[in-house]
Amino acid sequence: MAKKSAAFPVGLYAMLLFALAWLTLPRVFAPIERWTVGSACLVPRVASAWFGSPALAADRESLAQINELSTNLLKRVEQHDFAGAGASMSAGDRQLRCGVLSIGRRGGAGLPSELLLDHTYRELAGCREIVTKGDVLLGFLMKPGVGRAVDDTLDDPARVMLCNHREAPRLYAMLKNSDGSQLRMVVEPASTVDPAALRVDFWDDPYRAAALKETQQSIYTLPVEYGKERVPGGLLVGRTRRWGYEGEADEAPLTIGMFVTPAVDARALSHVVVWRAGDQQRSFSAPPSSLRSPRRARATVYDLPGATHGRHLLVCNEHVPDGAAVVQDGLFLGTARGLSFGAGLVTSFVASRQAWNLLVMPEGEGGAPIELHARVERAVGSVAWLRLSGVPLERLARMGRSYLFTGSNGQHCPAGLWIGLAEPAAEGFNVLKVTVPGATGTRLAEVFVGEKVQ
Amino acid sequence: MRRWLLWFLVVPQGFLLLGILQDLGLPSLDMAVLACLYLAFFAERSALPFLLLGVAIGRTLVDEASLPIHILVIGIPVALFLPLRGMFVAQRWLWQAVAAALLAIAVPKLAGLCGRVFDQPSVSSTLNAWHVLWSALLLPPLVSLLRHLPPFSAFTEPDGLTRPTP
Repeated sequence: MAKKSAAFPVGLYAMLLFALAWLTLPRVFAPIERWTVGSACLVPRVASAWFGSPALAADRESLAQINELSTNLLKRVEQHDFAGAGASMSAGDRQLRCGVLSIGRRGGAGLPSELLLDHTYRELAGCREIVTKGDVLLGFLMKPGVGRAVDDTLDDPARVMLCNHREAPRLYAMLKNSDGSQLRMVVEPASTVDPAALRVDFWDDPYRAAALKETQQSIYTLPVEYGKERVPGGLLVGRTRRWGYEGEADEAPLTIGMFVTPAVDARALSHVVVWRAGDQQRSFSAPPSSLRSPRRARATVYDLPGATHGRHLLVCNEHVPDGAAVVQDGLFLGTARGLSFGAGLVTSFVASRQAWNLLVMPEGEGGAPIELHARVERAVGSVAWLRLSGVPLERLARMGRSYLFTGSNGQHCPAGLWIGLAEPAAEGFNVLKVTVPGATGTRLAEVFVGEKVQ
Repeated sequence: MRRWLLWFLVVPQGFLLLGILQDLGLPSLDMAVLACLYLAFFAERSALPFLLLGVAIGRTLVDEASLPIHILVIGIPVALFLPLRGMFVAQRWLWQAVAAALLAIAVPKLAGLCGRVFDQPSVSSTLNAWHVLWSALLLPPLVSLLRHLPPFSAFTEPDGLTRPTP
């Protein structure tokens, strides 16, 4: 019996099961981690008093440059996100740029199909249902208390169902053939196992559709009304992906299914545009997001031993939320994990392996910012190689040296924080080489802590 | 009580200490592998859950994944190696070297797997051949030294990999 109990360590297995429960309900057990790891940080925190005095890395000139870059980025984002759809909307409709807090719920092709915005339903009251980006139709604003948003209240972040959401309305759309003829169709959300997020359900002329030779054709909405809402015409839905058999020699190809790849990859979204109806009585003003406060708290960053690995100790007088962006002189250092006793642990951008939403702004005037979804694949010193997904390859192929900024990465990591310089890597189109201005030693920094809880 | 206090005070800082030594140019070793080796072969069985917690807290200091991930990454190899504690007694050093090398492979692989499953990837999931080599060469003597020093000595089981007396 004694031997059996020795070979079967119940306590150890219980701890492993506890860890699994912890991962399943992270919010319930988060205080344990904050407290235990915060306690372990007390020793390096006490020792940090001898690590030297905080230093500012950037001079005023560089700081002004960074601020100018960030302002320029947001201006360009607005310019390009607002362009395009205007002609399709009613005269007098006004645009409002919203940040994306999170992306979730698998829809067509197993891709995310729901967005949470950094504005509440109350802040977006009176807005039209459709959500766009440039001339692209992204999806539809949900209503609190209805359907998927049945448990939402007016003060919750507004929810957007993308076109590949299971409950998204079907779209009346058309494609233009190279001979100038049109094919009209009804597009609906695909299933999670389908090869693309949307699929064509009905054609107005199935015989012509079966003989389609081309692929990657643009599909645009046709005006239609569903209920009290209206989908305007002329908005880009996506590009076709033909499923079928190639004809041999003179034989015509046989199309047995047509899927539609959305024009924008939802995983990379940082900003979307909602439309406030022009006939609304209230005066239009873009309300500041109450969910994403720009309030920053002062903090000090200390390099932990082996700082080349990008781990830092953060000392702050305020509560640091998990995932809060840490900024030093306008430069994005990384995100923090908040701990007890006024401490936090920061993983620098280069050392992190999490998925990031990023914005790339090409050098030079007027280039459209590109939204990316990427992960650091490897890093040497302060240079990182990013593996990109959801990339508009045709735009990236033309990209030269650019500025890299954070995209929208949760409530406490807003878009527009400068990370470093990016350039295409030799490894391929979907790899980006990023050089981050490196600095070591004790530094003054700021943490995005959000509003104080009253 | 004092031994637990010492364990939670010293062991997590061991991860930072190894970082300092690595910055000074010493061969890179993973404290998690060292801890796994000690927990699997020498530590008191009844104390394992909380010894594991102390080690996982230390790894959280140097790695971006969360605490429960580290509990799994360190705890699973320990649970697998624990039943083998009584075997290979006559080839102690060789067996420990092999076990250290296997752990140096298993820990980053498990970190990669847990990172993918729970969406918490971390830099420590990269397998490094030098880590494996140095672990096989240096960890067995280091563990045999450490198990006689506090706080490890307070948790070392007397039957852990000792040769049976005739």
